[in-house]
Amino acid sequence: MSDTSNMIEIRNLHKNYGDIEVIKGVDLSVKQGEVVVILGPSGSGKSTVLRCINRLEEITSGSIVVDGYDLYAKETDINYVRSEAGMVFQQFNLFPHLSVLQNITIGLIKVRKMDKAEADKIALSLLDKVGLPDKAAAYPDQLSGGQKQRVAIARSLAMNPKVILFDEPTSALDPELVGEVLDVMKNLADEGMTMVVVTHEMGFAREVADRVIFIADGVIQEEEAPDEFFSNPKNPRLKDFLGKL
Amino acid sequence: MAFQFKPEVMVDTLPLLAEGLELTIYITLLGLAFGFIIGTVAGLGRLSQNRINRSLAGIYIEIIRGTPMIVQALFLYFGVPLVSGVRIDPITAGVITIAVNSGAYIAEIVRGAVQSIDAGQFEAGRSIGLTHNQTMLSIIWPQAFRRMIPPLGNQFIISLKDTSLLTVIGVAELTRSGQEIVAVNFRSFEVYLTVAIVYLCMTLSIAKGLRWYEKKLMARSRR
Ligand SMILES: Nc1ncnc2c1ncn2[C@@H]1O[C@H](COP(=O)(O)OP(=O)(O)O)[C@@H](O)[C@H]1O
Ligand SMILES: [Mg+2]
Repeated sequence: MSDTSNMIEIRNLHKNYGDIEVIKGVDLSVKQGEVVVILGPSGSGKSTVLRCINRLEEITSGSIVVDGYDLYAKETDINYVRSEAGMVFQQFNLFPHLSVLQNITIGLIKVRKMDKAEADKIALSLLDKVGLPDKAAAYPDQLSGGQKQRVAIARSLAMNPKVILFDEPTSALDPELVGEVLDVMKNLADEGMTMVVVTHEMGFAREVADRVIFIADGVIQEEEAPDEFFSNPKNPRLKDFLGKL
Repeated sequence: MAFQFKPEVMVDTLPLLAEGLELTIYITLLGLAFGFIIGTVAGLGRLSQNRINRSLAGIYIEIIRGTPMIVQALFLYFGVPLVSGVRIDPITAGVITIAVNSGAYIAEIVRGAVQSIDAGQFEAGRSIGLTHNQTMLSIIWPQAFRRMIPPLGNQFIISLKDTSLLTVIGVAELTRSGQEIVAVNFRSFEVYLTVAIVYLCMTLSIAKGLRWYEKKLMARSRR
């Protein structure tokens, strides 16, 4: 059995697209309440790993256990487990035909079968939490990028997930809007949310991460606490990567 | 004898076209309503994970789009009853022809609209725990439907005009009404001109309605 204190347990993950092996044997455990930052050059497989954890991709071999549920076992209710792991995308992926409030409540109403009044209440308190208490009635195209991403975070928080996966949440933002999103993420980390964050924000990695992971060529090349990771990198590719920043 | 244009014939013709016009509108609306259902099923079938669904939908679309509607109507009205043993009346045959014919074009409209929605929308739906069907219904379909309105309006105009082909199976629609009037008064010029104007009024109104709708959508997305 897997260690039950681990929220995410990835064993020997392989993922091919056609003939091309993109993930070449990744092992990764994330403890409850831990914040893990994943760094790596573009195309190295960071998004693919996150997408496998939310089963947006089928894996080629290996196993992924989230909160004790084996994602790829037949008896696992994948819709249930998916709602336990939130995902925040680089491109926000808000639902443009729904208001901000509806974006947040749709999962509560359709997946959790909550009544609308109760769902609205939760959504409003989450909007408060991400600093957008007056945007409930707005539509996504009326928001700035930073506001969109904060709504997307509120949307995933609504499902009360055990873990949130962030795939470059600030990469599509104008520089002056990055801070407001990172602040929301820092608060989540302080509250003990389990988070896996793919990002290029080194400041965030140093300040918030419990562990930093460097992926290149579909393999984890280095895995350390942030101090050691940044001050004393061992892997030559990582040295090269950090040197270019 | 030189031709003499008699505008009063047009005025006299107009009321005589009323019944045909009604039938044209009836067949168009009913045919398109069923065509939309058929087209949605076939369009989603085209996008199905299941290979058999995909090829069945594909075969239907190719056959219908690859043959003239007039042949489809003749085949359905004269040919099929020889095999099925059941005669159908011309109006029913007309509605079925419009439905089956427009269905194939609407299927492509549906497929295109659904495919045009960013894959991230689907993933976001799945990631909050919606099932495949819930995501299709609540996230993808409403967005796709908005994009389908302009091409559906276009298909509306095409099918409306196509009902005139149903004269070959004896449906007493607008064009046929015109032919019957000409058979009596021999005023082809005035009568067919009137018929054409009636069609034009309808198609222009639909086009205008569409432009109004598109403007409204644009205003909403600029909100
Ligand atoms: N759907 C796909 N089909 C084929 N190749 C893909 C697909 N998605 C990603 N890849 C490839 O997999 C590799 C890893 O991609 P990705 O995980 O997105 O990298 P990263 O997020 O680190 O930039 C890249 O080489 C990319 O081209
Ligand atoms: Mg990526």
